[in-house]
Amino acid sequence: MNQETNPGGTLSSDLTTGRASGSLGAGGTATALTSDASLGVSHEAGGRKLRFPETGALLIFLAVLLIVFALLSDVFLTYDNLINVLVTASVPMILAVPATMLLISGQFDLSIGGGVALITTIFAWSITNAQFSTPVAVLIAVAAGLAIGVLNGFLVTVVGINALITTLGTLAIFRGLSLIITEGLPIQINGFNALGIDRPFLNITWSTYIFIAITLLAIFVLRSTVYGRTLYAIGANPVAARLAGIRVNNIIFITFIVSGLAVALAGLITSSYTGQGSGQNALGLELQVITAVILGGASLAGGRGAILGTLLGVLILGIINNGLTLLNVQSFWQDVARGSLLILAVSIDVLRLRLASRSG
Amino acid sequence: MTTTALAARGIRKSFGGVEVLHGVDLDATGGSILALLGENGAGKSTLMKILSGDYTPDAGSIDIDGTVVSAFDPRTARAAGIRMIYQEFQDAPTLSVAENISLGRLPARGGVVNGRAMRERARSVLSLMGVELDLDAPVGGLRVGERQIVEIARALSDDARVLILDEPTAALSQQEVDRLFTYLRDLRRQDIALIYITHRLDEVTEIADRVQVLRDGDVAAVGPVVEFDRGAMVTAMIGRTASSVERPLPVTIPEGTAPAVEFRSVSVPRAYSDVSLMVRPGEVVAVYGKLGSGSGELVETLFGLHTPSQGEIRVTERPFRPKGPAEAIAGGVGLVPPDRKREAIFAVRSVAENIAVASWRRLADAGLLIRRATEGRAFAHWYATLGIRSRNDPRQEMGTLSGGNQQKVVIARWLERGTPILAMIEPTRGVDVGARAEIYRSVRELAGQGMAILVSTSDYEEVVQLADRALVMSRGRIVTELTDDHITTGALLTAAGG
Repeated sequence: MNQETNPGGTLSSDLTTGRASGSLGAGGTATALTSDASLGVSHEAGGRKLRFPETGALLIFLAVLLIVFALLSDVFLTYDNLINVLVTASVPMILAVPATMLLISGQFDLSIGGGVALITTIFAWSITNAQFSTPVAVLIAVAAGLAIGVLNGFLVTVVGINALITTLGTLAIFRGLSLIITEGLPIQINGFNALGIDRPFLNITWSTYIFIAITLLAIFVLRSTVYGRTLYAIGANPVAARLAGIRVNNIIFITFIVSGLAVALAGLITSSYTGQGSGQNALGLELQVITAVILGGASLAGGRGAILGTLLGVLILGIINNGLTLLNVQSFWQDVARGSLLILAVSIDVLRLRLASRSG
Repeated sequence: MTTTALAARGIRKSFGGVEVLHGVDLDATGGSILALLGENGAGKSTLMKILSGDYTPDAGSIDIDGTVVSAFDPRTARAAGIRMIYQEFQDAPTLSVAENISLGRLPARGGVVNGRAMRERARSVLSLMGVELDLDAPVGGLRVGERQIVEIARALSDDARVLILDEPTAALSQQEVDRLFTYLRDLRRQDIALIYITHRLDEVTEIADRVQVLRDGDVAAVGPVVEFDRGAMVTAMIGRTASSVERPLPVTIPEGTAPAVEFRSVSVPRAYSDVSLMVRPGEVVAVYGKLGSGSGELVETLFGLHTPSQGEIRVTERPFRPKGPAEAIAGGVGLVPPDRKREAIFAVRSVAENIAVASWRRLADAGLLIRRATEGRAFAHWYATLGIRSRNDPRQEMGTLSGGNQQKVVIARWLERGTPILAMIEPTRGVDVGARAEIYRSVRELAGQGMAILVSTSDYEEVVQLADRALVMSRGRIVTELTDDHITTGALLTAAGG
């Protein structure tokens, strides 16, 4: 039998275009990495199609919020206030990007709130107590974020604990450690204005430019890279993903590390604009982020979701907080609003799954 | 003296404007077994869901013992004694056998469960069936056949008069099938009406009294089983004459062709031992064995899912020790797993992604960037080549395709990847007759182009239609090897020991 016969060759004369070539001729070692020099146009190759009704519904909701708050408050529709909404969205969005990636692959990271608090206290301690230079302190913070990601990733993929339980545990651990480091009292940080205070162009902080850059990068990664596609496949069916040759645990591990690095960045930004390391920083941030991600259409069952939806979710939550504050509504009501939105978002997800299973 | 237990007349049902049942009659008679046949999509499950009250028919009537039942819903179906045993168990795996038999109607007084009455109920129904099971064992730990018996026991102890079984033998070993048939014959003696849905035509002849075939929402044929031979059943199912089980044309592999796959006295603990085999490029080798024979595990080993404790596997004459699927694929092996929904498809993702998933690195520019157009081309190619029936839209969700077409997509995944070796386990499970024939033809063509194909199956007709060589496995050992025209259903069944 001719070893060079292409297994799909005659079935399809078109296979000889080289799509499956390179794999057989080599005597069965199908390490085919031959790039198919395609001239295809890149368009929304990422996960699901942006189903208009969903994204549309979010946009309409956002528009309604804008109109309502504009009518109720004179200040709301000013440039400075809208920029303020955007600046405030930085930390949640930087964290919501890996949270979306994790949820798409069927995972969670609830530890982000505690993680951010821990980073701020480690950073503040390094600068103020240990008198390290800013670059060194930043490096320490990034290393701590990396360690957070490695710990969560290790527990989930190597030890094999469910991600929800793992990160619920590490959330408490990180929050507790941050209180231990600060002995319960905030540590002041002086002179670290770069990320959250300085407004270099258009009266916008660096943190805002960073979050916009990260958002754009993440849209691209999820839509057009092998890694992004792999996340969707793992979330849609982890067993099938493994049998299709995807190293599921490695990918999930990497994604937890991405989440840890995002926590480091969010922690540095928080340190900058609050000017202190505190165990009370970022309280409940994890719920705010998860709410935004689910509101944005990522499915709890995995396999579906998109960054654009998450961005809309973050903006909707930010605008609600901002609007209610402008209207002098007690801040406790913001929690009520956020909780209600979370339940609403999950109900929509459940409803969608039910409809999908009925039609299937 | 048999009485008609259930008579459905002129049942019609539409979904979203498409009529899937065009006025179907069905009679289930006490003391008789009705085999219900039909390809996927013929309307079997819709009809059964109407009988069990899950769906309301658009038109038609259902009589129970001559009384027309209006407003047929789950409660009336239940009151009428209609019970359905689904393919996927509807049990509570962590609860005991006794609790499962009384599931949903625990004997209780004032909200306190009467454990003794519950156990007594379980004991009496199981002894009626002549089964011995540990009443306190959690059902999840039982073998598939035993779990099914618990499901039947539950239906019986709940006064079943019409029992519907949906492909009950799909996951059973031959021994368990024999035992099931014994129970079913017992039930027939107890004047229970049985409706038996199956794809396996030989079972029809063995167990049924009457046959009813549905095709495209109509009754294509109905009558006593003696009036049907295989050909008549298949013809009624697919609407044209099908050649009976046909052998592929013999292939000649040139002398001295190096084997693509070789097993040398390979053993995997608790699965199989001392297995040697060889697959050369261009041939299909089938390993025939019932569940538990080790045939599935044998093929899984080639894909890196088990580690041999002894012996050596060689691929293209080099030792092959994959530590998992990723390494096996890199070594040139693709696997079509047995449980399509759980192990093979990404239901909420697109058909194009389902094809490209194992080839993303190669399809991507610089191994990183995937263009949708590239995936679209891969889809268009295999759509045409394998005759995938879908909307011809690469973005269609995989879950909306029929089982047979999903299976073609899974095969396309490995063709796109270009693995020279294809391992398949139960490649046509849950695939209807028409699509099955197309899959066989594709597999033969792939072999014709030089692919080495190793199939594990518990369907002997599949072996006859596919294999150049057949290995029969029983209790973890290869008991016989058959080649070419010696591969017959008779020889396979004899070798497997029934």
